[in-house]
Amino acid sequence: MLRPGDRAPEIDLACVLNDRISRFTLASVRSDLVVVFFYPHDFSFICPTEVTGFNEALASFARENTTVVGASVDNADSHQRWARELGGVRYPLLADEGGKIARAFGVFDESENAAMRATFLINRDRTIAYALASPINIGRSVAETLRVVEALRTGRLCPADWKPGDQLGPGDRKY
Amino acid sequence: MFEWLSNVRELVFGMQDGVLSTAGVLAGLSGAVSDHQQIVLATLASTAAGALSMAAGAYLSTRAEGEVLAAELDRRARDVAERPYVVQEALLEQLAKEGLTREAAYRVVKLLSSAPQALISTAEAKVYGLTRAMLGSAALDGLVMGVAFVVGALVPLVPYIAIARFPANLAVALAMTAIVLFAMGYFQGWLAHRSQLWRSGGRFLAVAVSAAVVGYLIGIAISPLGAAAG
Repeated sequence: MLRPGDRAPEIDLACVLNDRISRFTLASVRSDLVVVFFYPHDFSFICPTEVTGFNEALASFARENTTVVGASVDNADSHQRWARELGGVRYPLLADEGGKIARAFGVFDESENAAMRATFLINRDRTIAYALASPINIGRSVAETLRVVEALRTGRLCPADWKPGDQLGPGDRKY
Repeated sequence: MFEWLSNVRELVFGMQDGVLSTAGVLAGLSGAVSDHQQIVLATLASTAAGALSMAAGAYLSTRAEGEVLAAELDRRARDVAERPYVVQEALLEQLAKEGLTREAAYRVVKLLSSAPQALISTAEAKVYGLTRAMLGSAALDGLVMGVAFVVGALVPLVPYIAIARFPANLAVALAMTAIVLFAMGYFQGWLAHRSQLWRSGGRFLAVAVSAAVVGYLIGIAISPLGAAAG
């Protein structure tokens, strides 16, 4: 699994955005940060809370100049139907058929033949800023992902459980 | 219908054990003891003990199984109430394994979720392998088992009582045993809709013959003990 500091692989996949099938490339993204969250499958009773959670928090991520994309091994048609089932998704759902990109990030679960639940935050220079993986049956916290984005955007030392408004660490210290 | 079929298990088991064990006791005692009356009395005592033992065993085992099953079903029902998404996902995965596409399985589970009881009972059967139909009546199981044992025991016992002379009484008892055991195997095969009913009957009979022969040989082997005590 890729770690902070590693170079993120290039992503060039079919995707579904606003009910239309199109193409997504990481190279085309201009925001400060990119959230790439992998999930195992469309049409699941555990996944939807994450997909809809990121959808609902999209404005908050946009305020932080952060692009959100989701990815699973399902094809674009499945993503389109899944997005409709969820009432519409306003960020790209990437069709990582075969798990090539998931493997490149080191988060493909061979036993499940699907991506793990993993989240990566990618800097503008395409290095990994943050990486998290969780068990397949435990949904991630969208709020925590947003908190980490906000912390990274300060460029400062952030104490444990830091949230906007809290005191930051000394500006001259890295750790 | 399912409840009736579940009592067939006690019926067949009880009769088979009654027939086999009584034939075995008769064969064993015939090899060790020569007094006809003693053999009959001992076999009657054995039959009574066997019937009560089998009845008690069936009652206790059904009751224990029912308590464990009921507790498990209640636990699963609480899971559905407290964490429905876990049960939904497990049922979705099971349906997908059984051939539905993931999307189809999702839609089926979503539809079932509109009726919590339907979701619970489907998950119980498909995911956990449980069903409330498995909850039997302990008292009925015990009664069926005990009565079936006695009915089975009468098959070799009645001809043995009626015919005082050895080895004719044993031969007729074993012949009746063989016929009834074959018939039971045949009936079992019919219930299971098997095509080769004769094979089913033959298998039943083969087991019976083996038990009777072994019982007789054991009787012969321990007969010196009886002679020494006399």
